Amino acid sequence: MVKSIAKKEFISTLRDSRFMVLSAAVLLLLLAATIVGLHSYKQQQAERELAQTTVNEQFANAADRHPHRMAHFGSFAFRPKSSISFLDFGLDSFTGASVFLEAHRQNSANFSQAQQSASLIRFGEMTVAFVLQMLLPLLIIFLCFGAFTQEKETGTLKLLLSQGVSLRQAAWAKVLGYSQVVALVVAPSLVLASILLFSAGGFEPASNALLRMLLFVVFYLAYFFIFIVLSVVVSALHQRSSTALVTLLAIWISCCIFVPKATANLGATLYTTPTKAQMDADVHEEVAKGIDGHNEQDERAEALKQELFKKYGVNSLEELPVNFDGIRMAAGEEHSSHVYQEHFDELTEVFEKQNSISVYAGLLNPYLAVRHLSMGMAGSDFEHYIHFQNKAETYRYNLAQGLNNIQATRLQYGDKTTRLSNSTWKEFEPFRYEVPGTGWALCNHVVSVVALLFWLLLVCVGGFKLIENINVV
Amino acid sequence: MRIFRILLTYEWLNFRKDRGLQLLTVLTLVAGLYGIYYGTTEVERQRNNIEALDLLTEQNVEEMKEKFPGEADAGDIGYYHSTFAVHHPDSWAGLSLGQRDVNPFYIKLRLLNLQSQLYDTENVNPLKVLAGNFDLAFVLVYLFPLLIIALSFNILSVEKEQGTLPLLLSQPVSLPLMVGAKLSFRLLLVLGLALLLSVVAMVWARVSPDARVTLWLAVVVLYCLFWFGVAFLVAALQKNSAFNAISLLGIWLLLAIVIPALLNVYVSVKQPVPQALALTIKQREVVHGGWDKPKQETLQQFFARYPQYTDTTEIKERFVWRWYYAFHQLGDMAVEDLASDYLHSLQARYDMVQQLNVLSVPVNVQGIFNAVAASDLPAHLGFLQSATDYHTSLREFYYPFLFNQVPFTHADFAVEPRHSFTASPDYGVGLNGIFKLGISVLLVYVVGLLLFRARSAT
Repeated sequence: MVKSIAKKEFISTLRDSRFMVLSAAVLLLLLAATIVGLHSYKQQQAERELAQTTVNEQFANAADRHPHRMAHFGSFAFRPKSSISFLDFGLDSFTGASVFLEAHRQNSANFSQAQQSASLIRFGEMTVAFVLQMLLPLLIIFLCFGAFTQEKETGTLKLLLSQGVSLRQAAWAKVLGYSQVVALVVAPSLVLASILLFSAGGFEPASNALLRMLLFVVFYLAYFFIFIVLSVVVSALHQRSSTALVTLLAIWISCCIFVPKATANLGATLYTTPTKAQMDADVHEEVAKGIDGHNEQDERAEALKQELFKKYGVNSLEELPVNFDGIRMAAGEEHSSHVYQEHFDELTEVFEKQNSISVYAGLLNPYLAVRHLSMGMAGSDFEHYIHFQNKAETYRYNLAQGLNNIQATRLQYGDKTTRLSNSTWKEFEPFRYEVPGTGWALCNHVVSVVALLFWLLLVCVGGFKLIENINVV
Repeated sequence: MRIFRILLTYEWLNFRKDRGLQLLTVLTLVAGLYGIYYGTTEVERQRNNIEALDLLTEQNVEEMKEKFPGEADAGDIGYYHSTFAVHHPDSWAGLSLGQRDVNPFYIKLRLLNLQSQLYDTENVNPLKVLAGNFDLAFVLVYLFPLLIIALSFNILSVEKEQGTLPLLLSQPVSLPLMVGAKLSFRLLLVLGLALLLSVVAMVWARVSPDARVTLWLAVVVLYCLFWFGVAFLVAALQKNSAFNAISLLGIWLLLAIVIPALLNVYVSVKQPVPQALALTIKQREVVHGGWDKPKQETLQQFFARYPQYTDTTEIKERFVWRWYYAFHQLGDMAVEDLASDYLHSLQARYDMVQQLNVLSVPVNVQGIFNAVAASDLPAHLGFLQSATDYHTSLREFYYPFLFNQVPFTHADFAVEPRHSFTASPDYGVGLNGIFKLGISVLLVYVVGLLLFRARSAT
């Protein structure tokens, strides 16, 4: 009986021309978003790869220079896009693409897509994730709002129940039928997306991409299922189709339009972001209390000098087996990087606190939960951005220290003119960024996973309990 | 007229009984007030942050005076001393924050080459800017249409579904009059709310009371009229409530979300901006190449731009500041074309949106609001130009010290140029936008009336 009800819902939906037109439109948008997403992913990725190769070659083929000159010449880190990010741009359009890596200084990530756009970009971007998160629930609402109200209005619900079917069974059957319809709408595009993903080939291991894609699909299926059951439950609780529809639309508006913006803004109001200017000034002030690599008269440099004298049993800088210039630079770099990292971590913490409002709101709003998970799997969330920034900073630090070490070991004290042959620069590995593993990405979103599971449980247990108790007149 | 008034009173009584609609209206009011609060506090925060920059500059100057007691080499000052180019928010910015959260509102500048400093970004939480600003413009552009839809999706259909329509029409009331009265009541309610919020925002933000007051209010009225027109158009189809609700929300979705997203894709494909990365790479290569080139060659190129400092004596020292700043200047000159290309491409993107916004009334209206508040891309481009000019003036201030080899004294800090910029509102975009909006409003009502006629005829 359950099977035949499900089949009836499935077939009668396919016969509904209005629904077919709407789902064709959604399907078309999904396909368009897939192709558009892939196009802009490839374009940006090519731009960044070209830029990265250029600067790597520039570094390896730089002229014969003094190592500290080379440390100021520095390098760039261009953020490669994760290969699934074409399905969900997430924060990628709002985060910088390029970081200049030089000695003594940590630079901001510059040139985000949003800065290169008019305010039009704030209306949202056409991605697969956007269609799946916002439009699919609407399609589901349209599909399911009459699930019970229509039967009530035509009086067929009583007939149905007189066949010995319980309300719970009928509800399950309807959910099953609608799930099949939704699967029919999203499957083609998800299959296409997977094929494109693996034929395009990213820079990360295929297994990582596969696992991420798989979870991406699973989270969305759970999300759709939640909306299907929710819609059926709301339909069962109403007597008239129109009121059920209005209720569902109100839920959609608050979940997908109102709450996401409100929680993000609330977070920013509650936890104040320090300005970069203030942060730089604080870092500068704190660094000034430590050793200054460029200042020979510095007190702490003096202490370091005495320490080295004791260690090597000598009395003058010239007698030292190592070049004190390089040692002093390295000590300065170590100190300033440490101070910067502390402030950067504090800033990240402020952002995380701001974001936590939206993350925990996922418990009240499945849209937010799936949005965070989707970005997480696509590698375009906040954590991936910070991960990249930290990797870029680590590379910058190692580069600067590597060059300081060369200065300390291969040049004489006080030597500011010797230029090392350019083969020296080839000793340095170019910047390479790897997207972290799926497990790491998932761990950042435990709350969102819990929120999604909570919602599944809530609609399946609580929702069906509500349906059992409705009044069939 | 008397019947019209009776109908209005009847609607008022109906509204007073409908808890749902009242709740929705109150919610919109609260959202509007929060939007005003958020917008004004955000602008206040930016103002305070800009003010704090003065203190940072002052501290920096004190540090310089301590570090270089007595006469200093201007080269040292140019290297260690920094000032800020600042982009003050317009008094209207709180009503429509636009891109002011994405683009930095200040740029820290040293005498070094400009192109490596001009595009530095502010600390921005990407998740926050992705979610967007909950300002008054958002409430008006996004939420008010939803309120209008909720209030009027069933004006005609509900009477049919409750069976009260034949009853009503048996009275001396024509169908258009009835629909007109119902819409008028809702229009009064919504306009009252929208105008009230706008005025509250203007007072709260203490906007400069100029022509923009009229422009803003006119846009608000026309925009609400547009959405009532859409509701009227759908009502003219005389379908059931469920159909109306879905169609109206579908139109909203199309105009406020789907078309803008598609436009954004179109614009970024049509007008790519590959110059940014190329520019940032090239300026570094040229600046650092300066160390390896013969000093005289660098200076000759520099003197071509600044002939007043031409000096043929050969530099014998390993390092002098004037040569250092000369090759920094050359770094900027090498990417001048790329930089201006980059800014022009960004402007072209904006212009393209301005042309295409006829396709979506919400995009047009958001554009007007941002133009009025001077918070969109052109305002930022104006700021970048102004910051560039400021950097040039800094160079012109320091170069005489460097090239004429005049020592820099503590007193000279006081006469160093300072920067301040406030973008001016774009009335052109505002008026053009309101013209397009007017046409859109006219169009929906004409189509709606024609549909009504056609429906009643059959």
